Amino acid sequence: MTGKQAADGVRVGLEVHQQLAAPTKLFCACPTTKSEEFPYHFERNLRPAQSELGGIDPAAIFEFSKAKSNMYFWNPESSCLVEADEEPPHPLSDSGLDSALLAAKTLGSNIVDEVHVMRKIVIDGSNTSGFQRTAVVGLGGSLKVDGTLVGVQSVTLEEDAARILGEDESSRRFALDRLGVALVEVALDPVAGDPEFVAKVALHLGRALRSTGRVARGLGTIRQDLNVSLMGGRVVEVKGVQKLNLLPKVVDYERKRQLGLIRIAEKLSGKGLRQIKCKARDVTGVMGGTASKVARRELVDGGKVVAVVATGLGGLMGWEPYDDIRLGKEVAEVARANSLGGIIHSDEFRRQGLSEAEEAKLRAELQSGVDDAIILVAGRPSVVDRCVPLLIARLKEAVSGVPAETRAATESGETRYLRPRPGSQRMYPETDIPNIAITEGLRADLAEHIPEDWQVKVARLQREYSLSEDLAVKVYDSDISAEFERLSRELNLEPSVVASVLVDLPSRLTREGVPESALGLPVLSEVLRAVDSGRTAKEAVPDILKAAGSRGLSVSEAISALGVQLAGESQVRGVVDSVVHKHRPIIEEKGDAAFSLLMGEVMKELRGKADGAVVSRILRERLAELTGKKGN
Amino acid sequence: MEDLAGYKGSSLSFLKKAGASIGDVLEVETSWGVVSGTLVPRYLYGDGDHVVLKLRSGYNVGLDVSVLRSARVLAKGQKPSFSASSPPKPSKGLPRVLIIGTGGTIASRIDYRTGAVHPAVSSADLHSLVPELSGVARVQPEILFNVFSENMRPSHWTKIAQRVRKAIGEGFDGVVITHGTDTLGYTAAALSFALVGVPVPVILVAAQRSSDRPSSDGPINLIAGVSVAGTAGFAGVYVAMHLGESDDKVALHGGTRVRKNHTSRRDAFVSVGVPLAAVWGKSGAEYVSDGLPMRGGSSFAPKTRFEEKVVLMKFYPSMPAGLIKAARKIGAKALVIEGTGLGHVSKEIVRELELFVNGGGLACMTSQCIGGRVDLSVYDTGRDLLHAGVLPLEDMLSETALVKAMWVLGNSRSLGKAKEMMVANIVGETTSRSFPGTPL
Repeated sequence: MTGKQAADGVRVGLEVHQQLAAPTKLFCACPTTKSEEFPYHFERNLRPAQSELGGIDPAAIFEFSKAKSNMYFWNPESSCLVEADEEPPHPLSDSGLDSALLAAKTLGSNIVDEVHVMRKIVIDGSNTSGFQRTAVVGLGGSLKVDGTLVGVQSVTLEEDAARILGEDESSRRFALDRLGVALVEVALDPVAGDPEFVAKVALHLGRALRSTGRVARGLGTIRQDLNVSLMGGRVVEVKGVQKLNLLPKVVDYERKRQLGLIRIAEKLSGKGLRQIKCKARDVTGVMGGTASKVARRELVDGGKVVAVVATGLGGLMGWEPYDDIRLGKEVAEVARANSLGGIIHSDEFRRQGLSEAEEAKLRAELQSGVDDAIILVAGRPSVVDRCVPLLIARLKEAVSGVPAETRAATESGETRYLRPRPGSQRMYPETDIPNIAITEGLRADLAEHIPEDWQVKVARLQREYSLSEDLAVKVYDSDISAEFERLSRELNLEPSVVASVLVDLPSRLTREGVPESALGLPVLSEVLRAVDSGRTAKEAVPDILKAAGSRGLSVSEAISALGVQLAGESQVRGVVDSVVHKHRPIIEEKGDAAFSLLMGEVMKELRGKADGAVVSRILRERLAELTGKKGN
Repeated sequence: MEDLAGYKGSSLSFLKKAGASIGDVLEVETSWGVVSGTLVPRYLYGDGDHVVLKLRSGYNVGLDVSVLRSARVLAKGQKPSFSASSPPKPSKGLPRVLIIGTGGTIASRIDYRTGAVHPAVSSADLHSLVPELSGVARVQPEILFNVFSENMRPSHWTKIAQRVRKAIGEGFDGVVITHGTDTLGYTAAALSFALVGVPVPVILVAAQRSSDRPSSDGPINLIAGVSVAGTAGFAGVYVAMHLGESDDKVALHGGTRVRKNHTSRRDAFVSVGVPLAAVWGKSGAEYVSDGLPMRGGSSFAPKTRFEEKVVLMKFYPSMPAGLIKAARKIGAKALVIEGTGLGHVSKEIVRELELFVNGGGLACMTSQCIGGRVDLSVYDTGRDLLHAGVLPLEDMLSETALVKAMWVLGNSRSLGKAKEMMVANIVGETTSRSFPGTPL
């Protein structure tokens, strides 16, 4: 961590959501299939519900105020009436629960004595019921990253949300195939926000979860949320970081953004402003002949324009304490999250085509001086009326720096406003699911299945099989370490050869177009056995697999078809002789330095039919003879 | 002990010793560490070995008291309670609609005693939760009673019918009744008979998803129900429930032809053998069937009594004749038999039914096919049943036939009159023509 970051006191709490490899969804018997087509659909509206403590969640009110309807698309191959919220949930799946408990145990969490499934209100439409079903299964625990212990807050078993297909001003479209798939969520204690360390923590946590052998693999099966705060500041939740390499960028951006907001607040406090006063007025009439394209477009569509005057914010809306961090941008994001595109603030009037005369007229009309910011809010009347109070609330927050909010990570590693942060008001018991007591028997069973710590295992692979750290980690990550160990013991081959055939080669060949299905473990082990028994050379393995994959041949057939049965020593000598003869002038010119060129030529000629080590030995002997003669 | 609701056994004594009440913030020491959270009630059927804390994150976790070493009350808390915000003010000039609450899923929230969904939200709560109502009508919500629909009896039907009669006298433009879904069809039929000739729309509304969840179908059904009750040009008793899976359309089913045909779907209610009475969309009526009685008719002559001693039985292979005898023994005055196919029962049952009729009982036949009409003239068994004095009830639904028999016996002076009323079509409970294509 740099000194600067330590001084900023950035704290990052990671929440990792990992899909479990259960055969069915968490609350019904549907398979976890991804659907491409959705023959059925229906439409729903969600409204906030009262929690057991009487209040309503602010995030829920926010989503309800947007009044969007939700269209759900579904296919019977991947969902049933449970996902459609047309049938009560079935009992919690045993395999989902077992996997989450094992994940908790692996992280050293304390398993709760009785699991209570809760309803977490989520009314952005991503759950047909309006809530996500979720249960804490473990509390506490830790993860060791580079010698530092990172605390685990909780381990939670939950259902995944519906997949969003698209959104417009009035509705959102979701697919139900992913809804109800079992996830385990691990929430970690906040750590000092060194972006690289945060990424490392996520990587370690992912590997620890994979060590249970109970989690799903592949794109989109793991997702990170971040809770980012500056020392003493409010917490910003950033949702949905899909790729690990984006984590450092997101942390960096959020740090910059929050510091920027604090600097804006400091500037306001320097001006002696302890609160921002705002007033709103309809200026549709005044804006009739405006030169602003944005306002004109909305007015042509029957929209209206409301001007919000914010005292003391003149010149501060467009001020950038850091590159691309502006209060104006923050306010515009709140507008956009509410389906309102058209806001223009006074610091950008010229750029947006409003003339000085137009601004003077507006200011006169609104009796506002240049020290005030004017924010023009243009759009459909109902949307404008709904948004103005939200925008005013955001402007007022400028004096306190960083508002507590939920943001989404973008593809480029930035974040954008989603909604206010939810409170604990959003949880209430899922009364359709009985509580589950964790029995002593289950605890004992779990204790027997705790996997070997991944770091210990990687170290062991390095030690026992003389693998490089890189290859050992690859073997670990590939999930076939058991097969690797078995084959390395059985065969008389270098473990590094076994590892690269099992781990490196398949991904390379897939990129070259060999179907993944032709690179299964049985094929890979058969080809390794062929090398081991001297039927072919290890150099021929890629070609054999390619031929087997593209022509649908067995390994033996591919070896015969390619003619890559291992060449005998006399055949190798013959080829070496002819190559050496051909390249005589080069050998005379370069001497031993011609070795690699010649080696390549020989191997090409033999088309992988020979063991590289044998070829190398014979070629070196031959060269020594030649260059030795010359030296005489 | 009220302030430790649901706790019993060792968990109750543990909490008592700690001086804890529901809603307090507790810090408990377990064998593995310290946990703090708000004490929440325990379900009645939960065991006596666990204490349930709501963590700061909002999650509930159960902790085994046998591993709890100590508990300390950090702060006395508020008891969980439901608070409804005050209803919005409706604008004048809108129709007046009475909403009668009777319980059921449309008006329910979580019950900690059982952990199940329970009727608890008042109609007033409901109104404040569905602010759209204020744009549709001036509604006056009131709770008549609060029972699960499976606990409804004819005496409840009488109370509802009497309250509706009074409401008409009070000048309401329509009435909405919120009700549990399970016996909604029975109540709809009962009110159809009891309020024959009713001059305003009387709309029964329910929900298949409880009102404590954001996805409840209740609010939309309620909005449609209030809109129909206040503004529709027709009168009569109807059930307003989702037309399909979507929240966009609400179907109105005639009160004597409606049946719950699915345990959980929003569109569980169907009109059997007849077209829908009407369909309500977001902006009002989208379809209204021909021939519905007009609002304001002058033939309103409510008869709100019901005779409870009526039995509905489903015939099945090997049904013992003793069941009919048993019905006689408990004093049943009428029997509705749901026969097979066109309306058949076994020889033994025919003999018993004859004895029942000869003893002064009213025996009627419907079909367990649900769709179609009974016909006792086609096969020998049918003719035997006719000979035994069993009344075929055309295409009347079995549940409607039960309710009708209760009403007929409650409002007729002689058996002869009762029989006459039983086979007459009074509020559309039978049709004289059947068509292809109508549901069931």
